[in-house]
Amino acid sequence: MRLLMLGINHRTAPVALREALALTVDDQQALLAELRRRYPLAEAVVLSTCNRVELYIARPAHEAPKPAELRELLAQRAGVALDTLGSDTLVQREQDEAARHLFRVGCGLDSMVLGEPQVLGQIKRAYETAVAGQAVGPVLHKLFQQAIATAKRVRTATGIDAGRVSVGSVAVDFARQVFADFADKTVLGLGAGEMAKTTLRHLLRQSPARLYLASRTLKTAQVLADDLQLTGAQGGARDWGDLDALLIEADVVIASTGSREPVLTADRFRPLLKRRRHRPLLVVDIALPRDIDPAIGDLPDVYLYNIDDLTAVVAANVEQRREQIDACEAQLADAVALCMEQLEHRDVGRLIRQLRHRLHEIGDAEQQRTRRKLATIAPGTAPDPAPGTAETEAIEALLDEHTRRVINKILHIPLSQLHDPAHGVATSFYATALQRLFDLQEADAPTPPAPPDTEETPAADSSPVNMKS
Amino acid sequence: MTDTLTTFLLAGLTLLTLAAWALALHRLRQPGEHAIASTAQQTLVIITGLAAAGLFLHRWLFVEGAWQPLTAHVDGLLLIATLFAGTVAFLQSRPRLLGLSVFGLPLLALILAWALCAATWTYRPFEIDTLHPVWRGLHLAGVYLGTLGSAVAAIAGGMYLYVQHRLKHKQAPAQFGRLASLEALENLIIRTATLGFALLTLGLVAGLVILIDEPDAWEHASLARYLPKIVLATLAWLSFAVVMNVRYAASFRGRRAAWLAIAGLVLLLAVYGIVTSSAFAPRAAAGGVSSFEFRVSSFPSGERLAQHRAQGHQPENSKRETRNQKLLKPEVSTCAS
Repeated sequence: MRLLMLGINHRTAPVALREALALTVDDQQALLAELRRRYPLAEAVVLSTCNRVELYIARPAHEAPKPAELRELLAQRAGVALDTLGSDTLVQREQDEAARHLFRVGCGLDSMVLGEPQVLGQIKRAYETAVAGQAVGPVLHKLFQQAIATAKRVRTATGIDAGRVSVGSVAVDFARQVFADFADKTVLGLGAGEMAKTTLRHLLRQSPARLYLASRTLKTAQVLADDLQLTGAQGGARDWGDLDALLIEADVVIASTGSREPVLTADRFRPLLKRRRHRPLLVVDIALPRDIDPAIGDLPDVYLYNIDDLTAVVAANVEQRREQIDACEAQLADAVALCMEQLEHRDVGRLIRQLRHRLHEIGDAEQQRTRRKLATIAPGTAPDPAPGTAETEAIEALLDEHTRRVINKILHIPLSQLHDPAHGVATSFYATALQRLFDLQEADAPTPPAPPDTEETPAADSSPVNMKS
Repeated sequence: MTDTLTTFLLAGLTLLTLAAWALALHRLRQPGEHAIASTAQQTLVIITGLAAAGLFLHRWLFVEGAWQPLTAHVDGLLLIATLFAGTVAFLQSRPRLLGLSVFGLPLLALILAWALCAATWTYRPFEIDTLHPVWRGLHLAGVYLGTLGSAVAAIAGGMYLYVQHRLKHKQAPAQFGRLASLEALENLIIRTATLGFALLTLGLVAGLVILIDEPDAWEHASLARYLPKIVLATLAWLSFAVVMNVRYAASFRGRRAAWLAIAGLVLLLAVYGIVTSSAFAPRAAAGGVSSFEFRVSSFPSGERLAQHRAQGHQPENSKRETRNQKLLKPEVSTCAS
């Protein structure tokens, strides 16, 4: 069986394309059913999160589905032009690389937020969905169960999921370094960009007393307020004309407008300091070009951070965690090698059984022919169809033994080559060669699901999977 | 000089505190979970506090055998060290005040080192006026506990400045270890400064009452001796008066409140310095306005005090000596009867 991973992720595809390709649980089930119908010998799992859509396929060597067919299928289902899923957008991994990719995703090494834990749950759910849809066979069972188990073990051993950071979480970290409690704090969002929304979501988890949104277009602010599900008591959209009053009341400001000029200058803000009674103010400017005059950061009791400051912290965090990442990669490399070896041995074992069976079929057929010829050449020496004499049985046993010995002699050298670990890299080559030379069937159809070795229950809803991964 | 046990214990406790500080610094510089280091640090601080308390009781009950606990400046410092260690142990267990021990433990080590110094090189017993036992008790309690409050305010102030510096230089908590927030630190400064202010007020008023009662207090020579202490203590008291009101005097909040809290403690330490300095030592009292007289015959530790006198620690003022003699007579007769 050949492993194939095909998909897009946050590194290769913009958010719009990821949104177009994103699949709800129902969509995943429909896609799996489609794949089973088209490619009955293939196994499939569909992983869809807000940052990636990936197909994991195990298929017989040189059999469908081919990557081009899957690409076409994805484009067709998402309703996007085929060109959109070009080689720079669509990630394709095969065999060990595909397995390694899944193991890395499970550990959060391929996530936007390094080490984030949600993706592991999403992988479990994707696997369980595929199991429920009977799209998983022995290869993907093995692969996903080992990926999940390894991710748990590696996360615990290396602590990669501790201390993870994103731009939003860094902003919250800064806020928590200034404020002890958010229950009496006011957050002000300026603009309604995607980054602002993400950061405001992070801040909302701190349960601030009020969250006001001000945009130069009130409607935009209102849309974001609705998106964040702000009720009247919790704040909501405010007119841009109230900006000074809002700045006096605010404790945290998240700025992300599309303005070409700073929307808040030091000259405008300085007189407000006294009216704020010198309360500390945290300003997070994640707009490009910047919304906040950098001189504001020099004012007393104001703590200003722009997108560069935040991303520098994120990058430094990744750098600081280099040792953890290296430890993860080392453990994953061993786990992937072990998994692939087990899968290969399983394939080889099955191949050997098939090969023996095939040769014995040939041997039996030839034995029958020999019997018939013997009967023609020397009547009375060939065994009768009916149970015969002791002499006849002896001749039959001799023929059987001869056939078995010939088959065993023929198989001895190729099987030794397949079993010899020194030929590890070439095993798949020999296996493929034998398969082709003797016209052996490689795969079984996906089997009914074995009880998954996971802890979580499958997601019951059909909402899109919505976490960072 | 005190007994050898006190000296060795104080030296050991200072080292223990420095070890706890090293652990606290390690935790600060290496963000993440340090369960063992955290437990070890907390254990060291608790051991230090308990040992300081034990030493304080040992000196009170067995070494000095005095009828009152504070017979020398080292006792006062041991009392402060005990209370301060307890406070640090409490504060470092508070999730909202992470990292405060990094700033508190050096001060605890300083207090213990000072106590070591006061127990060996600058050892002087207090001259205690038994005419004002209540006022003296209030004075000592107010001054020592007020100092404890102001010490906590000052370390919170130091930490506030450090955290603010980190924030202004864009150093993220995730990179350099989480510390208490500015808001939590400001709240702590205000609360402890308020406590310090109240207790210092009590101590200063009690000291003033004792001073007024002193017959020669307003003479030029006496006034010159007490004036620096009074002025510095008043300035410290004023600084805490401002700090406790920063919510109303908003222009003093934040960084300025932190500096004022530190300045208040420095002023108090200066008062202690004056009290224990050689020029004032023969008249030393527990950190505040001194009382004056020995009542040798009435103290269970009278022999020890007499030994000190024999070693040259006689009060300088002959007028006081005369008054002392007058005071001694009825006590002796009381004891005799």
